[in-house]
Amino acid sequence: MRPRRYFRLIMLLAGASVSAQLEYRVNFLVNVASSILASGGALFGLSILFSDGQRVGGWTYREAIVVVGLFTLVEGFIATFLQPNLSRVSEAVRTGTMDFTLLKPIDSQFLVSAREVNIFRLSDILIGLGLMLWAVITLHSATPWGVALGIVLILAGLVIVYAIWFILTTTAFWFVNIENLTELFHGLFGAGQFPVTAFPGWTRIVFSFVVPVAFITTVPAEAFIGRADPARAVGAAAIALFLFFVARWFWKFAVRSYTSASS
Amino acid sequence: MIRHAARKARVLFTVWFAHMLVYRAEIIIWMLSGSIPLIMMAVWIGKASSSGGSVGGFTAATFAAYFLAVWLTNQCIVAWAAWELDRLVREGLLSPRLLRPLDPIWNELAAHVTEKVLRIPLMIAILFVGVHLVPGTQLTPDIPHVLAYTVCVGFAFGIRFLLSYCTGLLSFWTTQATAIDELYYVVAGFLTGAFAPLSLYPASVRAVIDWLPFPYIVYYPVQVLNGNLAGGGILRVLAVQALWLSVLILIRGMLWRRGLRQYGAVGA
Repeated sequence: MRPRRYFRLIMLLAGASVSAQLEYRVNFLVNVASSILASGGALFGLSILFSDGQRVGGWTYREAIVVVGLFTLVEGFIATFLQPNLSRVSEAVRTGTMDFTLLKPIDSQFLVSAREVNIFRLSDILIGLGLMLWAVITLHSATPWGVALGIVLILAGLVIVYAIWFILTTTAFWFVNIENLTELFHGLFGAGQFPVTAFPGWTRIVFSFVVPVAFITTVPAEAFIGRADPARAVGAAAIALFLFFVARWFWKFAVRSYTSASS
Repeated sequence: MIRHAARKARVLFTVWFAHMLVYRAEIIIWMLSGSIPLIMMAVWIGKASSSGGSVGGFTAATFAAYFLAVWLTNQCIVAWAAWELDRLVREGLLSPRLLRPLDPIWNELAAHVTEKVLRIPLMIAILFVGVHLVPGTQLTPDIPHVLAYTVCVGFAFGIRFLLSYCTGLLSFWTTQATAIDELYYVVAGFLTGAFAPLSLYPASVRAVIDWLPFPYIVYYPVQVLNGNLAGGGILRVLAVQALWLSVLILIRGMLWRRGLRQYGAVGA
């Protein structure tokens, strides 16, 4: 691994991808409209949930907005970086063009993960950051340490999302006919727009440990509003590392059993 | 005339049934991915149990009945006609379809309807589990309400299908038709009642939303199934749905005629 070479590659690939997309500038307007409507809708839905002025799962309305902001940010991360790349893996395996990726003298996991950037969906990331900043600043409960920890936890959350998405994508090497397995995670991730404590009984356990949605949005949000729980912060980092290595191992295992299409 | 139509319908349905059977695994994944109503069900039940058993007149059991019905209705009204039309126009595949002695909308309708038939087994399984998870959940009071719901949800599907089809016809003029159709899913959460029962909305917001087609796609059919509407109320819902359907049929006809004049197939 030579970091400088990979950094240069990222720049080249992103540059090519961006210049191809700039041909479709109307896209940008539709995407911005959709981002604004989506977060407006999420905030409206939240205001109905909180309309009786009671806390939900121990969170106030303003605090829950931090979670919505993080959720929007992660959705933007998925749409900008994950979906445009990983949705192609299944087709590449089916048609055999995965050969070209594997033959290149760079890490194949890196190449299938970093080829495209959907810049038009950066709007989600910006809106998510904006919502978070606004809620955190007006809450006055943030501490410098909390914010620093929160940033680390966001990164851990993104690694968790990437790893889960990548593991589901890698199954394409065996389930050639199933293109949309990642939709299963995407469907459950919708739970991430609420603090995990809003869920009753066993569903809370499902969203913490079976599908670690809680560690992607709730745990970083707790750090930002100055309520960080050290045990859960360490847990988030451990889950992120563990899933990343599982994803790495699974990819290598899948590539070894790949026999190309046809003949 | 009618015999010909019946034969065409039979052929379309047989072909699409075989086609959709190949995609049965995909259909299950799509069904499970539309889980927002179930997530909202958990959140609202959590809220009801932490505030003494009920919120705005809803208990855990009535929330479960509402959101399970929303989930069921969402499953019945799924439409991807815009996506299909965008592909047909962009890749020029529409040209051979135009040679058939049949408006392409019937082909699309047959595809959508057969796909719904394959959703039925998992629908029943999930509703069964859902009703038994929350004690006291009563999805519907009696058979007449189920029958009324069947008609209502058929109309609702018609509205959503035509909305998607009309958006898809915009691909004669723009490459953004699918992106515009995606906006439906963005606004559906709060306009159709998947986020919260519309009766919990502020009256001013409610007054605006009721003038749109969206509540008639999910919220009102759900009210019929749950038994919150009786004879006159059900008829009113059906009348408004029929009105929206006729408006959309007119728009579809106009867009189709103008679009065809605009259409220059790839390679033509």
